[in-house]
Amino acid sequence: MRRQTNAPVKPLKTIGHPTPRIDAVARVTGKAAYSGDVRLPGMLYARVLRSPHPHARIRRIDLSRALALPGVKAILTHENCKVVWGAGGISGGLQYNDEIKKITKHRRYAFNNPVRFVGDPVAAVAAVNRHVAEEALRLIEVDYEVLGFVLEPEEALKPGAVQIWPEGNLSPTAQNQLQPQQTRRGNVEEGFRTADLVFEDRYSTAFVHNAQMEPRVCLASWDADKLTLYTPTQGISNCRSDTARDLGIPEAKVQIVCQYMGGGFGNKNQNQDADLITAMLAKEAGAPVKLELSRKEDFIGVHGRWPTVQYYKVGVSRDGVLKAIQLRGYSGMGPYRKNSGSIGGIDLYQCPNIERVVYPVYTNKTVSGNFRGPEYPQGFYGIESMMDDVAYKLKMDPVDFILKNMTRKSNDEVPYTNYSLEECMRRGAEAFEWKKRWRPQPGSDPGPIKRGAGVSFMAFRSALGRSNAEIRLDAKGQYTVFVGVTDVGPGAKTTMAMIASEALGVPLSKVQVVWGDTDRCPYSVGESGSRTTIQTGQAVIEAAEALKRQIAEKGSPKGQNTLAGSASPNPSLEGKVRAAFGAHFVEVEVDTELGRVRVLKYVTVHDSGRIINPLTATSQIKGGATMGIGMALHEDLLYDRRNGQPLTAGFYGARILTHRDAPEIEVIFIESDDGYGPYGAKSIGESSKVPAVAAVANAVFNAIGRRMKDLPITRDKILGALA
Amino acid sequence: MSKNKSKKKISRRKFLKGTGAAFAVATAAPALEAQRPANGSASAVADASVPRTTIRVVINGAERRIEVEDRWTLVELLRDHLQLTGTKIGCDRGECGACTVLLDGKPVYSCSNLAVWADGRSVQTVEGLAEDGRLDPLQRSFIEHDGPQCGFCTSGQLMAAKGLLTRNPRPTADDVRAGLTGNLCRCSNYNRYVEAVLAAAKGGAR
Repeated sequence: MRRQTNAPVKPLKTIGHPTPRIDAVARVTGKAAYSGDVRLPGMLYARVLRSPHPHARIRRIDLSRALALPGVKAILTHENCKVVWGAGGISGGLQYNDEIKKITKHRRYAFNNPVRFVGDPVAAVAAVNRHVAEEALRLIEVDYEVLGFVLEPEEALKPGAVQIWPEGNLSPTAQNQLQPQQTRRGNVEEGFRTADLVFEDRYSTAFVHNAQMEPRVCLASWDADKLTLYTPTQGISNCRSDTARDLGIPEAKVQIVCQYMGGGFGNKNQNQDADLITAMLAKEAGAPVKLELSRKEDFIGVHGRWPTVQYYKVGVSRDGVLKAIQLRGYSGMGPYRKNSGSIGGIDLYQCPNIERVVYPVYTNKTVSGNFRGPEYPQGFYGIESMMDDVAYKLKMDPVDFILKNMTRKSNDEVPYTNYSLEECMRRGAEAFEWKKRWRPQPGSDPGPIKRGAGVSFMAFRSALGRSNAEIRLDAKGQYTVFVGVTDVGPGAKTTMAMIASEALGVPLSKVQVVWGDTDRCPYSVGESGSRTTIQTGQAVIEAAEALKRQIAEKGSPKGQNTLAGSASPNPSLEGKVRAAFGAHFVEVEVDTELGRVRVLKYVTVHDSGRIINPLTATSQIKGGATMGIGMALHEDLLYDRRNGQPLTAGFYGARILTHRDAPEIEVIFIESDDGYGPYGAKSIGESSKVPAVAAVANAVFNAIGRRMKDLPITRDKILGALA
Repeated sequence: MSKNKSKKKISRRKFLKGTGAAFAVATAAPALEAQRPANGSASAVADASVPRTTIRVVINGAERRIEVEDRWTLVELLRDHLQLTGTKIGCDRGECGACTVLLDGKPVYSCSNLAVWADGRSVQTVEGLAEDGRLDPLQRSFIEHDGPQCGFCTSGQLMAAKGLLTRNPRPTADDVRAGLTGNLCRCSNYNRYVEAVLAAAKGGAR
């Protein structure tokens, strides 16, 4: 086994010390300006009319009564607005580029006909105030030819199912090929033949919504041919290039501003149809327009995590060594393909024979897209439940089974830059007191209240990549860092300031940050894929080095002069793979009479490389784990099978966790410096949710002795399993 | 929740359906101070059919007379017409608590109260927490304990916590969870918020 030792990290001056956010005062005084707080003179308000049907052809739209309403300034429909929303539905679900956008067969427009889900935009109105805009929606008459619909991915692939697109319901690849995603390694048939035991099972996961607190809003303003959008986006640079492409204008003519943002968790990647609709309304009306989505629209009109069905077949030797893993999976993408629909997880087991076939399938539900760790929390729930079950069937402790079979990138695989999974597992088991809390005989507690413990592990990408930064020094000794980050919640601004302070060797108080405005900041990778600290952080270090060289050469600036250093690094890993590692240990208590699950103890151990700011990093882990508990136990966008209507679109319906549901999450960091990334920092934000769902589900099994195979694990399902 | 004065008692839903014409008083009353939006977009179109009422309300300690449209919610008045945008709208239907303000010292959802219901009462928002530029102990504690991640629920959490500490200056962790449970945080920083409120209470926050 090849394994690097984890040298302890060297202490640094600013980095590694718990540091309150540099903008914390603005956040607790109400001064932080979110997109919805921005107002422009003469601003109009917009509202969107959405399809009430899961699938329908629009025969006719009559706008006459709406247009006659005093105060209505512009109305858009599929008849007068033909903008293609590239990032909204691209074959293959890849982040799109011009080539893919040109060839894709399944184009998604800002307004579509036919409409393909409840919530598909039909018309948008701009009016003098929101009340008039809402009234105008009621006056628009739409004549629909209602079509059949299909909600579940497996049903959608059956012969005779309603066809959402002419080519059928299997979503094509980026090259328009009608093929599932496939990965193969070794020979699974051979693996199953050599296995002592073979197990098969089916798991399913629900559609869950990102449910960030800030609903989508957009304010668009045109100054001649220059468009400015104030919009919540997890990446101003990507939002600008997406918007310019979709509207057919040069990037230089688009300015994206997003200073503070009320969370996104993947819901605000790229640009959204709201951005395009608002821009087009503002153009049409000749005035700035603000579009506000209601909470319900935010749930059904944007996207959530793709629901999945996962069939596993696992071959194993009697002593618990994996011989073969096979996955056949189905992901419900809604009627447009906004992301890959992949199902991750089996790649994290050390197994010579692997076959993974995943079908991304069109359905008439709300669209699926990015949500924290896009393909992993649902995939991990499936595979780590499956493996947990195999461990029990072999009469093995699940911790021992994981230690035996988890990823090590040994033999012929590309090695990790560092490896600490074993340490994560061992430290976690010790801190959690696994041997004390885990029941060797599941469901063995006497009485109706039963306790049990579960475990899960993860590795999450921490690759390097391109980003930019510039730092200026003025005569007063003030350093200003220009980075195109948005502060979506993890604290990117503070992280960048701390990295600059460390790299420049100056106190944090001498550093200020300019962020969230494409006209003022260079390209940044965007707050997706847990990449900002690694990629833009590295650019800040290199910009600091460039500035220090300038100072050495020219001396400190005087008077009105400034000095500037900039950098656009694009580092690579030189034949290695880089990952953050973690393990979660959970104890639950199940009331078998009420079906209620309470989390009693939750211990997380994470190696996210060097921790830049322990204060904010800890918050990220706590938040991700807590979200995972919600996904495991509560969250679900339910649909009425008879009419295709979403039933639980909202915070209460989806039942996201409240103060009273959230347990204390204990966080242990194993710090490492693998020599890559800014001071050895790796990814954090998404990784904390990845193992949480499986760990909770496994704890429920240990408590009640019944394997819960369909998320969420609600009371009715527990009572049903025990009946 | 709020005690509504006899005549103003009407559900928001019913009201929005247009059955609230009985409120159509003082339509012509002049607006005082600069209460009309500067840009004029929201009410510049004088729509005689929209009932208006002039209310007296103490906002963050200052008494104001304001002509409001009867259909405005309290959060709409605060955000759109008084530029107090620290109060956020997360759901606009009484589910999330992002819009929590204190009405006569008690936490209420300002999305679920009509502006006219604030007549004769006092409203405190997040902008009114700091006094003479000195942060409230709760605000300082929220900073130290990293309460706000994205920060969108923070104003609501702060106002709910302020209301809690006013009626229970020495809460237990469970008291805090119960007092703030109507305030959702999708960043799920619940541990931090509870820590922060307990620390502020210990330090004597009132």
